[in-house]
Amino acid sequence: MRAVLLLALLLAPPALAHEPAAAGERPSFAPELPAPGSYELPPIHRVSDAVLLDGRGAPAPLLGLAPGQVAIVSFAYTRCADGGGCPLALAVLQRLDREVAADPALRERVRLVTLSFDPTHDTPAVMQDLRERMRPAADWRFLTAGDVDSIAPVLADFGQDALPLIDARGRELGVYRHVLKVFLVDADGAVRNVYSADFLSAELLAIDARTVLLEAAPAAHADFGGTP
Amino acid sequence: MPRTASLLLGLVVLLAAIAARADETCQSPYLPKLVGQEEFVYVWTLGMDGVGDGSDKLVTIAVDPVREDYGRVASSVSVGGQHEAHHGGFTDDRRQLWLGGLDTSQIFVFDVATDPARPKLVKTISDFVEKSGGVVGPHTFYPLPGRMLISGLSNRDGSGRTALVEYNHQGEYVRTTWMPEGAEYGYDVRIDANLNRMLTSSFTGKTNYMRSLPELIADPEAMTRFGNTVVVWDAHTRKPLQILEVPGAPLEIRWALQPRHHYAFTTAALTSRLWGLFRQDDGRFEAIDLAPIGDPQKTPLPVDISLSADDRFLFVSTFMDGMVRVFDVSEPRKPVVVHERQIGKMVNMVSQSWDGKRVYFTSSLLARWDKAGDDGEQYLRAFTWDGKTLAPTFALDFEAEGLGRPHIMNFGSTAFYRGVTQNADAIVSAGTTP
Repeated sequence: MRAVLLLALLLAPPALAHEPAAAGERPSFAPELPAPGSYELPPIHRVSDAVLLDGRGAPAPLLGLAPGQVAIVSFAYTRCADGGGCPLALAVLQRLDREVAADPALRERVRLVTLSFDPTHDTPAVMQDLRERMRPAADWRFLTAGDVDSIAPVLADFGQDALPLIDARGRELGVYRHVLKVFLVDADGAVRNVYSADFLSAELLAIDARTVLLEAAPAAHADFGGTP
Repeated sequence: MPRTASLLLGLVVLLAAIAARADETCQSPYLPKLVGQEEFVYVWTLGMDGVGDGSDKLVTIAVDPVREDYGRVASSVSVGGQHEAHHGGFTDDRRQLWLGGLDTSQIFVFDVATDPARPKLVKTISDFVEKSGGVVGPHTFYPLPGRMLISGLSNRDGSGRTALVEYNHQGEYVRTTWMPEGAEYGYDVRIDANLNRMLTSSFTGKTNYMRSLPELIADPEAMTRFGNTVVVWDAHTRKPLQILEVPGAPLEIRWALQPRHHYAFTTAALTSRLWGLFRQDDGRFEAIDLAPIGDPQKTPLPVDISLSADDRFLFVSTFMDGMVRVFDVSEPRKPVVVHERQIGKMVNMVSQSWDGKRVYFTSSLLARWDKAGDDGEQYLRAFTWDGKTLAPTFALDFEAEGLGRPHIMNFGSTAFYRGVTQNADAIVSAGTTP
């Protein structure tokens, strides 16, 4: 199972280079993307920050945003064998990471966070290993927690389901039933959009991030090329 | 890259994409879907004076043949009072079922995850009109990731000018998107996530839908106040792109479910016509009048449609004659009726399982539009469908059971909320392969 994820992680970026959300099925045309700032992303609900563990096992904030920053938060687990789940999200986030790193207007203002909801398996060392394989170019953090109880309130706060599957004897199988979700969070802790597999794309995430950042820094409109 | 590994990954991504796109026939693509045997049918039921406690209620019917209570009421929860119970839908994690009242605009939130056989009312949202800026009649409840999209039917002044309203899962208001000028009425809302397109249809305002049907039909001026439009939206930005003319109150909308089927169906209630909404090569949509439904001169009043997961069969129920007509829509521009059957003296909602083998019908349209006397039978009737014929399996008399007027149905299963994999084939989460 782990081998499947590793295979997907190794192969996913080139395989998904053009249509990250659904390579085999999306229409042959690409729906036009909106201009940053040309639409609204009202706050959906607020989430709290939390102290988790980074890849060295040191305490690290989930968000820790300064004014004028946004975070793209995703939940995953490294044993995920679902090609339309965690590997897909990581592939899209890797593309976003490259786009953010290449844009001076975004580099210091967009943080990517990938948090494991399987801390029993995904120790800090495992998340560090994942980080090294993803080779982040921007501010992309890989977090976990000391135990399941530390993750549960964060999952509840975001509304992220993660149900460990068990066999008929009650033994955990190391597999979770979960709906892929990625969250765009502003510096006030307000969730501004939630993405699922159907419309998860690096381009759209970047445009939405720019849209929110335009609110925080109206003087910087020109930097983002958007419409006020 | 090894060729076989690449092909394997491609297959995984392709399967995932197909699974993520579709859902059990009419649900949001963002919802985990139930692909096997449903265990329960949740029926949002209008209270009837003199029947049971007279209040609107959520009725849970056991429909899995392996259950001892198969075909019977598993539980019933009254919400107190009559609110014109109508439609409802699950949140994106399928843990809550939100149910709306067209008269009082209250929204009742049920926990269906803790005990799926016995849902529990956990919240009542009473600020819909105030927070939305005057929208009334919450109709379609369409889950989006992290929030609920609700189409309104009307406005505080009773006219049909209405909007789309969003709430988060905590029951807090998020935003209102008003219908565009020239297409002010609202009814259904459905999204094709891959196309980034949202379609809305149009019915009528509260002054009409809360009036008795015979009285309304006898008022020519009131009969002009119905919607004649379908609006095409950019789903992401919530901006209207096109207003399509679909005369005669287009109601339920169903997107095709198969990959590269870039079209949807709707039915016009007053003109009794089946319409297709097709994406053209330039990305715009066209509305095509495809076929009559029964004899339009007799106003059969098509009220609900259900499209099979393979996009082959479209079930159309017509309230006045109590009939269901099954169209073969394999060629979507050339639908052909392949089966028809009398379901009751009146019929309203039709819902089918993902595998297309089971079809359920309920009787009630609106409290003041339902037939009276012996013609006003209130029921849920279950059938099997073998691709050619509907065969009855069980029926419940909602009046004799002391329940009321049954309207919308949503399917439930314990398997969504339990980690035991022996039931895993019964359900699939959005974004995962079946």
